[in-house]
Amino acid sequence: MVLKLDLDGTVHNVTILARRPHLVLSIDGRRHVVEGLDEAGDGSRALTLDGEPVAFARAGSADGVIVRLGGRSFALRRRDAAADASAAGGGANVVRAPMPGTVIVVHKRVGDSVQRGETIVTIESMKLQMKLDAPRDGEIAEIAAREGEGFDKDAVLARLAAPAEG
Amino acid sequence: MSRLQSSINTASADFRRNEAHNRRLVAEFRAKQEAARHSRPQRDLERLARQQKMPQRKRIEMLLDPGTPFLELSSLAGNMAYGGESPSASSIVGIGMVSGREVMIRADDPTVKGGAWYPLTVKKIVRALDIAMENRLPVVHLCDSAGGFLQLQSELFPDRYMGGRIFRNQSMLSKMGVKQLALVFGHCTAGGAYIPGLSDYSVIVRGTGAVFLGGPPLVKAATGEDVTVEELGGAEMHTSVSGTCDYPADSEEHAIEIGRDIVSQWDRLPRWEAQREAPEEPFYDPAEIYGIVPDDIKKAFDMREIIARIVDGSRFHEYKPAYGTTLVCGFANIWGFKVGILANNGVLFNDSSIKGAHFIELCNQNNTPLVFLQNITGYMVGREYERRGITKDGAKMIMAQSCSRVPKFTVMCNGSFGAGNYGMCGRAFDGRFLFSWPNHQIGVMGGDQAANTLAEVKANQMKRNGGAVDKGEIDKLWDETRKAYQEQLSAYYSTSELWDDGIIDPLDTRNALGVAISASLNAPLGEPGYGVFRF
Repeated sequence: MVLKLDLDGTVHNVTILARRPHLVLSIDGRRHVVEGLDEAGDGSRALTLDGEPVAFARAGSADGVIVRLGGRSFALRRRDAAADASAAGGGANVVRAPMPGTVIVVHKRVGDSVQRGETIVTIESMKLQMKLDAPRDGEIAEIAAREGEGFDKDAVLARLAAPAEG
Repeated sequence: MSRLQSSINTASADFRRNEAHNRRLVAEFRAKQEAARHSRPQRDLERLARQQKMPQRKRIEMLLDPGTPFLELSSLAGNMAYGGESPSASSIVGIGMVSGREVMIRADDPTVKGGAWYPLTVKKIVRALDIAMENRLPVVHLCDSAGGFLQLQSELFPDRYMGGRIFRNQSMLSKMGVKQLALVFGHCTAGGAYIPGLSDYSVIVRGTGAVFLGGPPLVKAATGEDVTVEELGGAEMHTSVSGTCDYPADSEEHAIEIGRDIVSQWDRLPRWEAQREAPEEPFYDPAEIYGIVPDDIKKAFDMREIIARIVDGSRFHEYKPAYGTTLVCGFANIWGFKVGILANNGVLFNDSSIKGAHFIELCNQNNTPLVFLQNITGYMVGREYERRGITKDGAKMIMAQSCSRVPKFTVMCNGSFGAGNYGMCGRAFDGRFLFSWPNHQIGVMGGDQAANTLAEVKANQMKRNGGAVDKGEIDKLWDETRKAYQEQLSAYYSTSELWDDGIIDPLDTRNALGVAISASLNAPLGEPGYGVFRF
């Protein structure tokens, strides 16, 4: 089973390879050995990670656990597999019309930089105004939508510039 | 189940504007509700005091177990009828705890025309007894009514769901083993006399309580007999001679005390064991709902943000999240009770309709009650969608939903237009409870659409008749149509006509659903099975 753990906003894939005699984990493809998960005298815990002793403390929070390690705190949260499924499909370069309709407002211009979730166009169809948002961070390369004009389903209304490598 | 991640910015201009708008709507609703509950002409209140009667709400307060919630239903029924002279449709209805049992309470309102039943009063009582039957809730009747409002008898007496239905429902309840108690504080005249007559138990207050088919004036007119109220149908006569009532009480307080003792004797029928976990408050502040629901019914919003402010811990297991995305489906808990939620995030397409039908089947198989959060402008129209079978896919959803064996609950969170109302468990589909938010609008189409359609028809008519198009007349027609539509589309009109079980403050949604789900567990699940799905 692959566990998806969110550590301060970054998701890591963790697989338990063995539980005995030591805990052996694969974290993002790298193998780690954890030994001797012990309670220390002051309520903190100690373990050996890949042969190195490590002291840490943990506390439950509403969202998961807070881990204190090496003088820093980390928020650790388990990612729900079902929740991940809805996040899939991002990263596209184009904003397409989900249904036929009319353009009400064009909010951005070519060359504007946008963040994921920022509204690029507002459309109206079936008595409902909907905001079409940027699928990812990027720069607007093309706006095909014109205010007041109609469009068909799947029409490209805006396009983002291809992301720079790296 | 993981927590929904809210992406609402409470500092944004949109949020602030929506919040101001919705807070104003809720303030308006609260003011109307307050007036319906308490504002009465001074002379009516004085008459009540002279008769040594308690105000009707005081009676309910004394009847309820101290410190327990009372979910009042349809507090604004009748608010747009009869020139406003029948607040709450002259009747108080709600669910509360009496002697540790969940009961339906139904009370006449003697401060309005002597507690006379208007047509909408009858509709409200019939609905209360329907709820009692569907959820097997015992009923406590607080009787104090002059009888039917005679001027409007044709609207309250003869038809299937009018006066007689009250007594038919009472009989059915008794047959089902659901108990009823009548506390007779004032008069039970004509049909109203059957309320204690058909209750399993009845208590009558000496001096003020009376039960008779015809009161003294009617008897005088019919036979010439002179008779006093006490002789004709008072507490002594009925509890010692006729046997129509069971217990005489010295005062209203005494009657309530006897009533509570009667209820405490009732057996507790087995409740249906729903899947339940420890309840948890939503992680996100429900008050943020005000800033999320837009100030214009045309503007879309993400219903997940609403779900996050209703369900336990804001946790939601979304089903098929990447498919048919205009219908959000998933599992959550409310007051610990497991529910399956269907919420509109746009128009219903083929895929969203099929997903909805499938999810409803899963919930029926899993014994999970269904919660519908409506904000729907309809099923998608157009050539492409008809060719793909949008009608038969919508029919699948309606079939699965209609035939559901699990209890269903509907909240009108915003718009409810056209056939979308059907698929999403509108009033006709026997949901156990249906609540509306003050911003709710309902109709076969929107006001603008209706005005445009009729204006178009009128213009064509003028052209056909060879004349020029009279712009002034068209504009007048447009304005009038839109105005009439807007009035009838409003949540106040809807609740006035009892198309719902009451307007609620959006902040109360979680608790209203909690009480409703808990009440629904008194009834067993329905029979499994569906009709023929068109594939």
